[in-house]
Order: sequence, then C-alpha cells, then structure tokens
Amino acid sequence: MVDIGSGSDPRLMVDVEGFSPEKSLAVIEAQHLEAIRSLRVDPVPILGMWGLAWLGGFGAFYLASPDGPGPYLATWAAGLVLGVLFAAAVAVSVQQGVWRSRGVEGPSRQVGAMYGWSWPLAFAGLYGVNLGLIHQGLPTGVAPLLWSGSSLLVVGLLYLAGGMIWTDRVQYGLGAWTLVVGAASVSAGVPGNFAVLSLAGGGGFLVACALAYARGARGRVTRAQP
Amino acid sequence: MTIEGLLPPLDPVIHAQPRLRVTVALAALDDGDQITFPRLQEIVGMTAGNLSTHLRKLEDAGYVTVTKTHRHRTPVTYLALTRSGRRALEDYTTALRALLATPEPLLRLEDSP
Repeated sequence: MVDIGSGSDPRLMVDVEGFSPEKSLAVIEAQHLEAIRSLRVDPVPILGMWGLAWLGGFGAFYLASPDGPGPYLATWAAGLVLGVLFAAAVAVSVQQGVWRSRGVEGPSRQVGAMYGWSWPLAFAGLYGVNLGLIHQGLPTGVAPLLWSGSSLLVVGLLYLAGGMIWTDRVQYGLGAWTLVVGAASVSAGVPGNFAVLSLAGGGGFLVACALAYARGARGRVTRAQP
Repeated sequence: MTIEGLLPPLDPVIHAQPRLRVTVALAALDDGDQITFPRLQEIVGMTAGNLSTHLRKLEDAGYVTVTKTHRHRTPVTYLALTRSGRRALEDYTTALRALLATPEPLLRLEDSP
C-alpha cells in the first residue's frame, strides 16, 4: 500500500492513500511538540516564581529595616513573606521535576534527581558553615551579609551547574549574574543588601524567565515551518 | 528519466500514522531513557489496546524494545526506541522532505525538449 518508490507516479499513489508529505510532516511536528511539552521541565514557572519570591521576600526585609527608608512592616512579617514565597517557589520547582519525569526511567531521571538533591545538600552545608562562624563569634552586624553573600554563591554555582548539565545558556547566564549580585550585596552593606537581592537578584530571575519564555515561543514558530 | 529510484521509498512500518506518532514520541526521550506504557499512552493519546497493537508491530520491526519488569510487585512495561528505530524515523522524515521538494520539476522533465 505504501511502496511509493516503485509506483509509476508516486504522487498519484500517495494521493489515493489520502497521504501527503506536508500532512505527515505536520503530524511529526505536532507529536514532537506534544512529547517535549509533556516530558521537559518548563523553566518559565520556576524562574518566574523564584523571581517573585526574591523580589517580594528580600524587598519585605528591606522595607522592614529600621536603617532603611522605613520601617514599614515588622521583621517577623518580612520573615513570614519570605518564608511563604520561598516555600511556594520550592514547591513549584519540585513539582515540575517530579511531574515531568514520572514514568520515565534512565540516565535523565538520575541526573535530575542528583541535581535536585544538590540544592538541599548545598544549603545544609552552607547553614553548617555559617552557624559555625556565628558561634565562633562573627560580629552580629556582619551575619546578614554572610547569609546573603554565601547563599548567592551557592545559588549561582548551582545555576552554572544546571546550565552545564542541560546546555542551557539562560541558566548559565543567570548563575553568573547571581554571583555578581552576591558580591554586590555584601558591598552594599545592611540594609542595602536586601535592596540588591530584591531588585538585582529577583530581577535577574525575571529576565531569565522572559528569555526562557521567548525561546520557547521562538522554538514553536521555527519548528512549525519545515 | 523516471521518478523511480530518485524518490526515496517510505518505510511502511512507520508510514501508518499511529506508529509514526509513537516513534516520534519515543524519539523525544533522552538517550538510554525508557518510558512506562501508561505514560506513553498519555503522550500519544491512544487507547491501551490500540497502542499495544502498534507497539507489537514496532517491536517486530526491531524499532522498539519492550522491557517487562516488576516494581513493588506491580508489573511495569518500559518502552524505548532502538537505534534502528531512531534511524528509521530520520530516514522517513528525510524521505518526506525529499518528496515535498522534488516531484513537480521532475514530472515536468518529460515535457521539456
């Protein structure tokens, strides 16, 4: 029925079968996009949620600081805002990873799981070091700078790693930017560090989110034209 | 000059649309990965009976590997595209593009002086 190479007129044969190369290419294209959409982690909600969490969470700390323009809210309220937003961002990230990899077994799942666990492991190490330094008599005025500087170093490095694993320039660029923001936050001092984290840090995530979204949209357009 | 021999033949195994779609979906997996039957079913949107019929044909052609195993005492079926399955899809896509690009001018050759 489909031995198209040996017919007298291949187009006639394929027309009789209700087949056209255009239609088949469109079927391939549509099924490929559906599979990618279902299997790949979508960075847009992850980056967007983290952008909002940094903007809102660290912004709240800046506004709660007695040495800043405020204080406009209590420190505990700022802590609550940050806690809730960060918990939501962690939930979105984990949900994406778990949901997309369900029913898939093999190297990609292992890489994803190892990368995912790198985050709590790295932050557990960071807490250990920082709490140790504070216990050893680190001046209280410096502690907030230690937290923001070291946290951003860890975040930046993990985004560099993500960029390497998935050959993703947006992630890699965000990692590099986060390292710069970490250093800048320490130079800014308290409470300026919170403004830097909120605007430059959160802003970096939101720019990365926009770039990832644009890349996704561009991919859909170019692939649709064979 | 005839068209025979110039146009690549289309692989009958994946020329059937459901099998083409299953092959495309499996090709989206990373190297070395495999996928469970229900998850594949979700991506291609076919009934279980339909999907297993087509998978059997793909397996017979050597395009798909079917691995039956147990997880927490529940039987699980994993599916993956073989190397020749991936190549078949690439060849098929190339053939479609060639078909799309060549027929008209070739057919007109016979009329030219």
